[in-house]
Amino acid sequence: MSNPTPQSAPPSRALRWGVAGSVVVMIAAGGLFYYASQLAATKRQVNHNEIAVTIHAHACEPNALTVPAGRASFRIINRSDRAVEWEILDGVLVVEERENIAPGLSQVINANLQPGDYAITCGLLSNPRGTLHVTPTAESDAQAKAKPSMVAFIGPLSEFRVYLSGQGGALIKAAAALQQAIDTGDLAQAQALYAPAREAYQRLAPAAQRLAELDNAINARADYFEKREQDPAFSGFHRLEYSLFQQRSLDGLAPVAQRLVADVTTLKQQLLAQSLPPEQLVSIVVRNLNSLADVRAVSGEEERYSHIDLNGFAANLQVARKVVDLMRPLLTKSAADLLPNIDRALDAFDAELNGLKVDNHYTRYDSVTDDQRKQIADKAKAVAAALDGIDPALGLSGLQ
Amino acid sequence: MKKSFIALPLLMSLAPLAAFAATAPLDLVGPVSDYKIYVTEEIGELVTQTQAFTDAINKGDLAAARQLYAPTRVHYEAIEPIAELFSDLDASIDSRVDDHEKGVTAEDFTGFHRIEYALFAQNSTQGLEALTAKLNADVNDLKTRVDGLTFPPEKVVGGAAALLEEVAATKISGEEDRYSHTDLYDFQGNIDGAKKIVDLFRGQIGQQDQAFLAKVDKNFATVNKILAKYKTQDGGFETYDKVKDNDRKALVGPVNTLAEDLSMLRGKLGLN
Repeated sequence: MSNPTPQSAPPSRALRWGVAGSVVVMIAAGGLFYYASQLAATKRQVNHNEIAVTIHAHACEPNALTVPAGRASFRIINRSDRAVEWEILDGVLVVEERENIAPGLSQVINANLQPGDYAITCGLLSNPRGTLHVTPTAESDAQAKAKPSMVAFIGPLSEFRVYLSGQGGALIKAAAALQQAIDTGDLAQAQALYAPAREAYQRLAPAAQRLAELDNAINARADYFEKREQDPAFSGFHRLEYSLFQQRSLDGLAPVAQRLVADVTTLKQQLLAQSLPPEQLVSIVVRNLNSLADVRAVSGEEERYSHIDLNGFAANLQVARKVVDLMRPLLTKSAADLLPNIDRALDAFDAELNGLKVDNHYTRYDSVTDDQRKQIADKAKAVAAALDGIDPALGLSGLQ
Repeated sequence: MKKSFIALPLLMSLAPLAAFAATAPLDLVGPVSDYKIYVTEEIGELVTQTQAFTDAINKGDLAAARQLYAPTRVHYEAIEPIAELFSDLDASIDSRVDDHEKGVTAEDFTGFHRIEYALFAQNSTQGLEALTAKLNADVNDLKTRVDGLTFPPEKVVGGAAALLEEVAATKISGEEDRYSHTDLYDFQGNIDGAKKIVDLFRGQIGQQDQAFLAKVDKNFATVNKILAKYKTQDGGFETYDKVKDNDRKALVGPVNTLAEDLSMLRGKLGLN
């Protein structure tokens, strides 16, 4: 205190730090306050946008809702005396739901809604259904026209993998039954079981053909081997076919059949392990149909000993249909103009093959005329061409 | 040897980076399809066992019917995220008496819980032919519809939380199987169904958040440990009234935490 002025330097420095510090704290506090008030405002905003629906004992209020497309929040207040549910339905399918809303309480349901008309389950099952009308917005219109994102393909690709799993299982079973007939020395039974095993394979063929080496072991024709039918490396279905239908003998087939069962078992595993990008889901089917049109239909080379080619073609068509059905929702949304042509081509090919049935069985291919073979090739080609339009229309090759 | 020596630090240094990479949509194809395969198998069991259950009823074998009630239902409870998507069938297969204004006498009160009422509250198998026929038709219809359904990935991933919410809302209170008190079967079915989803997406979740996965696993283990206390020798469960108060209370925490945590799964896998 005796020398207040000159010695004031150190404390004043401290003071300055102190002031600076408190300014920082104030700014920080101000910032926090601002942040908190913004947060509260945002929350209020969310609450403000909530659409309140009250469930009474016998109906909801309001019971008819209209909202714009996009994200919507519904606060469901249960004023009935039971724990009940509130669901948004598209036909019988639940879009969003909240179950067991306790009496006197409320729950929020968030939904991302596409334009359209929905029904509402409102409390008791005997209560009248509510309605929800979702109107299009500029954004939803733009989305509808936009090409789908990669996420949109998770569903169809998963479903195709389920298909591969199911058909893979069916192929293993059919091959094992064929092996058993061969092992028990039953030629007639083995001949009868060849076709169903081939059909199972042909439903997988578009995907199986991605696995070059394994597929060769299962499906290669004699032409691929130096000594053709006599080549010891000739294996798989067509080696069996050669003995069963040409030589009419089971001699030496047991190890071939055993290996086929092992190979198709590996095939199923491999098919499930391989990732299939969206553009290939379509392109493998196109490739398969093109090989049908360009080579197999005209020559009948594929099943040259058994002449059951038509069974295989029909199975190829089935997997093509499966893929179209899996892509249908995406096509309907983003490239609907392609669908009539695709469906027409599929139906025409189907009709062509069906016309070659006698007593519900496909006729032997050696009795199918050149003209009929050309018709089959043309119809398969038309399906391939129609499917070729999918990639550019949906932007499959450039997906993010 | 030498390679792994170099690879290990390299992997460790890359690990934090990997945590920021979003899940690639195509990586979800495997788990989503495996989930459908699982659901398909469960529905196959549901169809077969519902037939056996209703056969017992139609033969008038009350004891056998009562015994088959809970193990049959489990296959529905495990796959509820998908089964519930079909609102009409969910109502006719699994609605509770509370869902119907006229209670047990409501004409449209059908399915498991209506049959449960007859078997456990009325002690009777009489006059259930129409109900058993409808239940069989409904589970077969469900199978056909699920076969034809492309599973929405966000419903599959969101299903884990939905199952835990179901447990929190209806199982701990014992309201689901109020006549038979076989709630623990359903409880376990819901938990197993949710755990299945976590297990199928384990790789993708772990890539995003290892700590989250550890926490979820720990809570599943806690719940399963408590449930295991009430397992009977025949592989079934004690009735729910046997569950001690402290165990009911001990279930609340982990079940609610699981429900909360699993509700973040969609966001973590980029499906919001």
